[in-house]
Amino acid sequence: MTRAQRRPWERDACMTQVMTHEERTALRDSVRRLLADRCAETDVRRVMASDTGHDDALWRELAGLGVAGMLVSEDNGGSGLGPVELELVMEEFGAALSSAPMISTAMAAMLLDGARAQALAAGELIVAVAPLGVHDWTGQSDVRVAGGRAEGVARFVPDGQIADLVLLAGDDGVYAVARDAFSATSLPVFDRTRRLADLHIDGPVERICDGSRVAGALAVGLLALAGDQAGGARRVLEFTVDYARERRQFGRAIGSFQAIKHMAADLLLEAESATSAARNAAEQLAGDAADRDGALALAAFACADAYVRCAKDGVQMHGGIAFTWEHPAHLYLRRARSGAQLFGDSRHWRERFIQALEAQS
Amino acid sequence: MTDEELKAEVTAWLAANWRGAPQRTERFGPDPRAEWLAKVRDAGWAAPRWPKEWYGRGLSDAQARIVESCFAEAKAPGTGQDRSNLWANTALAHATETFKRQIVPQLLAGEVGMCLLYSEPGAGSDLAAIRTRADKVEGGWRVTGQKVWTSGAHIADYGMLIARTDWSVPKHRGISFFFMPMRQKGVDVRPLRQITDETHFNEVFIDDAFIPEENLLGNLGGGWGVLQTALAYERSVMGDAARGARSGAKEAHGDAALLELAREAGKLSDPLVRQDVAQVIAWRMLNSLNTRRAKAELKQGTSSSIMSLGKLAMSRILHEEGRVRTELLGPESLLQGPDHPRAEDANFLSLNAYFTSIGGGTDQIQRNIIGERVLDLPREPEVDRDVAFSAVVAGR
Ligand SMILES: Cc1cc2nc3c(=O)[nH]c(=O)nc-3n(C[C@H](O)[C@H](O)[C@H](O)COP(=O)(O)OP(=O)(O)OC[C@H]3O[C@@H](n4cnc5c(N)ncnc54)[C@H](O)[C@@H]3O)c2cc1C
Repeated sequence: MTRAQRRPWERDACMTQVMTHEERTALRDSVRRLLADRCAETDVRRVMASDTGHDDALWRELAGLGVAGMLVSEDNGGSGLGPVELELVMEEFGAALSSAPMISTAMAAMLLDGARAQALAAGELIVAVAPLGVHDWTGQSDVRVAGGRAEGVARFVPDGQIADLVLLAGDDGVYAVARDAFSATSLPVFDRTRRLADLHIDGPVERICDGSRVAGALAVGLLALAGDQAGGARRVLEFTVDYARERRQFGRAIGSFQAIKHMAADLLLEAESATSAARNAAEQLAGDAADRDGALALAAFACADAYVRCAKDGVQMHGGIAFTWEHPAHLYLRRARSGAQLFGDSRHWRERFIQALEAQS
Repeated sequence: MTDEELKAEVTAWLAANWRGAPQRTERFGPDPRAEWLAKVRDAGWAAPRWPKEWYGRGLSDAQARIVESCFAEAKAPGTGQDRSNLWANTALAHATETFKRQIVPQLLAGEVGMCLLYSEPGAGSDLAAIRTRADKVEGGWRVTGQKVWTSGAHIADYGMLIARTDWSVPKHRGISFFFMPMRQKGVDVRPLRQITDETHFNEVFIDDAFIPEENLLGNLGGGWGVLQTALAYERSVMGDAARGARSGAKEAHGDAALLELAREAGKLSDPLVRQDVAQVIAWRMLNSLNTRRAKAELKQGTSSSIMSLGKLAMSRILHEEGRVRTELLGPESLLQGPDHPRAEDANFLSLNAYFTSIGGGTDQIQRNIIGERVLDLPREPEVDRDVAFSAVVAGR
C-alpha cells in the first residue's frame, strides 16, 4: 500500500493511538457530559434560530477535548485516533442534535497536513469539503479547475456557510480554496440543525494532494453520518419509550397497548441494527478490511432508514403532543430526513452494497 | 323529475349563476365563498338529499349524485354538504328545533367559523375521560375546563363541545354535547405552534363560560352518541381529502401531480420509481372506490364504521406520498420555503400527514374501532368502563 492510499491513522503505525475499551468509554462520556451541558434542547433551538447555525464557543471546547482533531495525527496537534472513536463520538452528536461541523472536520482531517491540520485540530479553522465529479452526490455541482484557478458552483455543501477554507475533492486531486476565492449562499434548509450552503467559487486554488485520498475522506464522512444516525435513532426511541411508560389513557400506560409495544419493539430492532451497522463499518474501516466498501454502504442505508423510521413512528407514538413545535420529536424527524439525503440516498447505497457483494463473489 | 330534467335544471342554474368564487384554503373559520354558498343553499343545491324544509330537495342518493357531478363539471363548490358538512349534519340530526333554524342555514353557507372542542390534555384517544364540566344554571349551562389541539379555535364562532354533565355514572354516559359560543368572556384561546411551523391549532381555556339552553344537542347525558355521528362525518371527510400543500391548493397533490413530479424529475422511466408512484396512486384510487361504496350505503343521521377505513387508508397514502415525493426530489428535498415550492410541498406533506394519522383519532385507535365495531372482534378490556367517573377521578 502506498503512503497516499493509507488513512492518516495508518500513516505511521507507531504514531496511531490504539485506545482501550475504557479509554473509549471515557472519551464518549466526556463528550456526552459536555453536550448534555452545552447542547441541551434549548441550546439546539437557539443555534437553529441563529444565522450561522453554529456554536463556535462549544466547538472550541470540543476541540479542547481533542474531538476536532480526532483524526489528525499527533505530530499535527491532533489525537491520532481512528474510525472507531469517530463513530462513537458521532453517536453522541446525533443523539444531542449537535450542529457542530464534525462530519466536515473529520473529512478534512483526511486531506490536510501541516499547519492547516493543526489549525483544524485546534478548532480554529473550519473546513468544508465539496466532493466533485464522480464523488458529487448532489449531481448538481459544477466546478471547473484549470490552470491554478477554479470556477463554478458546489451545491449543498455541509458547513459551507461558516467555512474558512473549502476543499474541492475530485478524482484528479484535492484543491484548497481560500476564503476570498468563494462566496457561500446559506440554504433555507428543512433541518435547521444541519446547515448547507451553495459555494460560488471563482479564484485561485492550491493543489494539496492527489485524488487517491478522496475515497478515504468520503468513507469517513459517510461513517460519521452513520454514527450520527444510529445515535439519533436510539435517542428518539429512548424518549418515546419513556413517554409510553408515563402517558396514561383508558386508565393504563399507553405502552401497555400492544399497538404501541409492538411498534417500540420494531423500532428497537431498527435502532440496534443501525448501531451494529455503524460500528461494524467503523471496525472494517479501521482494519482496512477487504469488504469495507460493502460495510460502509450497508451502514449508509441501514442507519439512514432506521433513523427515519424511528423518528417517524416516534411522532405517531406520542400522539398530538409531538405535532407541536415545542416538542423535540420533529427536530429528530427533520434531522433523520436530511441525513437520508446527505451523501446519497438509500437507493444509491443499496445499489453500492449489492455491487460490493458482486465484486466479492 | 327525470334524471335528464334534473341535469338540465342544474346545468342551466349554474350557467346563470356561477361566476367563480375565491379559493377556500382553511378548513376552519368562516368561508370566503360564503356569498356563493348562500346562493347555492337558497336554490336548494347545498344539501339536495335533505327535505325541502331544510334547504334540500328531498332527492334520492342517485339524483343527488347527478347534482354533484354537474357542480364538479363546472368546478363549482357548495353541493354535497348533506354528505360532507360535518357541522351541519350533526346539527340537523341532533340540535333543538330553535337552534337548528338559526344555525343550519349559516353552516350551509359557511357563515360561521367552527371548531371541535373534544380533546383535553388527559383525554385524547380516551375521549370519554374528559373532565371539562358543564353545570346547569338558569337558562343554560356554565362550563369550566381545558381543551387542547383545537384546530381553528382562534377563528371560530362556535365550538362543538363535549363536557361532563353527570359525574355519578360511568364515563361514556355522563357526557353532553353542545354548540358553545366561542366569542365570550370565559373562553381564552391560545395558539400552539405546529411542527409544520403553522399555528392552526390551539389550547382553549374555558372558565365559567355560558351556553344557552337551546344549544344542547341530543339528550342531556347522551353526548357520546351525538359525538359518534360527528366523528363519523369528520373521519369520512378526512378519509376523502387532505391538504397536500401548505397553500391548501388541491392541485398540488393527487395523482396527476405525482406523475408530473416524477416526469419533471426525469425519473419516470426508472422502474422502481414507477412501482412507487403506481402504488400511491393505486391506494388513492382504491380508497375513493371504497368510500364511494360505503357512502352509498350510509343513511342520513346514522354513522358507518366502514367510513373509518377511509381515514386509515388516507393516512397511509399521505405518509407514503410524502416518502415518494422526497425520494423523487433527492437533494432538493433538503430545502424549504417559498423559493423551493416542490421541496416545500414534499416536506409539508410528510409532516402534515400526521394531521390525518393522529388528528380525529389516531391510526391505532382507528384500527381498534375497525377491529371491534366492523369485524366484531372482542373488545379490548377497559378497566374504568363501568365505574362511576367520580370514582375514576378519585382513584387516580
Ligand atoms: C393536527 C391535529 C389537529 C387536531 N385537531 C383537533 C381538534 O380540532 N379538536 C380536537 O378536539 N382534537 C384535535 N386533535 C387531537 C386529536 O384528536 C388527538 O391528538 C388524538 O385523538 C390523540 O390523542 P392524544 O394526542 O392525547 O394522544 P394519546 O391518546 O395520548 O395517544 C398517544 C399514543 O398512544 C396510542 N394509543 C392510545 N390509546 C391506545 C389504545 N387503546 N390502543 C392502542 N394505542 C393507543 C395512540 O395511538 C398514540 O400513538 C388534533 C390533533 C392533531 C395532531
